[in-house]
Amino acid sequence: MSSSSVLSEERGARGIPKAPFIQDVEKHIGGADAEVEGPLKAIQDAISKYRYMDSNLTQRRLGLEEKIPDIKKTLSMVEYLQERREGKSSQSEDDLEDDLEDSDSDSKPLKTTFELNDTLFAEAELEDTDTVYLWLGANVMLSYKLPAAIKLLRSKLEAAEANVASLTEDLEFLREQLTMMEVNMARVYNWDVKRRREHRTAEEQGGKSASEKEGG
Amino acid sequence: MRMVEQDQENDDSTEVTWEDQQKINLFSKLNTRMKGFEAKMEAAKQEKEALDDLSTELELADDTESVLYRIGETYLHMPLHRALERLEQDQADLDARFSKLLQSSQQCETEMKQLKVALYAKFGSAINLDE
Repeated sequence: MSSSSVLSEERGARGIPKAPFIQDVEKHIGGADAEVEGPLKAIQDAISKYRYMDSNLTQRRLGLEEKIPDIKKTLSMVEYLQERREGKSSQSEDDLEDDLEDSDSDSKPLKTTFELNDTLFAEAELEDTDTVYLWLGANVMLSYKLPAAIKLLRSKLEAAEANVASLTEDLEFLREQLTMMEVNMARVYNWDVKRRREHRTAEEQGGKSASEKEGG
Repeated sequence: MRMVEQDQENDDSTEVTWEDQQKINLFSKLNTRMKGFEAKMEAAKQEKEALDDLSTELELADDTESVLYRIGETYLHMPLHRALERLEQDQADLDARFSKLLQSSQQCETEMKQLKVALYAKFGSAINLDE
């Protein structure tokens, strides 16, 4: 029996093969006296294939999950810059007398302390700006107006989260198939143990009656 | 993880049916899901503690001086009341996230409990559903 024949042709979402459910162990093995080694090995092979897929997908999900906080950080920074601009323009319209001190401090350039290198921080003053530069990867940086940057980052965040969700779905599907194969393995194995025990008692009884006959 | 360790001494009578298999699968799935929730909740809890510490710290802060508030990787110098506003916002976001996680994990737990009852009733000591 080749290992591929254990996995059914049926496939779940995204092409992961479905694990078969064994109705009747005896039928699966191919008879009351059939060898279990072949089928057991086939099941074992299928399990290791599922395990391999599982570790691959887990790795991919980890990579994505690392990306999400980065996007979130960038997004909250850009959102802050945007809020600052909006806050300023709305302030000049209505509450002029309210919080004079506050508008004072807001019109100052934004002072930041940023990490120049590991453990080394420098101060920088940020002029009022409506443009940010986003690192797109592949040595490309593009300038965006604040609202456009927010829109882009939000869509990236959504895409990454959707991706993680679908990977999680795949992993859960895989987990179910893996469990099924593990149960299959235990059942075939136990079935074999039981058969051997029955054979042994049968032989013992047979042997006993035979020796009794000889003695008598 | 071996979900099923069938005890050869007393399993002779229990056959695994397709329904049982599906229950076992579902349990296994929920178990994995639960572990994910636990990790996320632990992270959220730590974040919450940090924010709570921050809020007690800021209560003592001098409001004539600006505080450094971190957004992303950068510290921004902002007046105290601004920082407090942001902190409140951050805390509210985190609380919302945490209660959502808690709700999903509780739902997961109840389902697992029901499955446990059903599966232990059928298989007894032939199946092991605990860590």
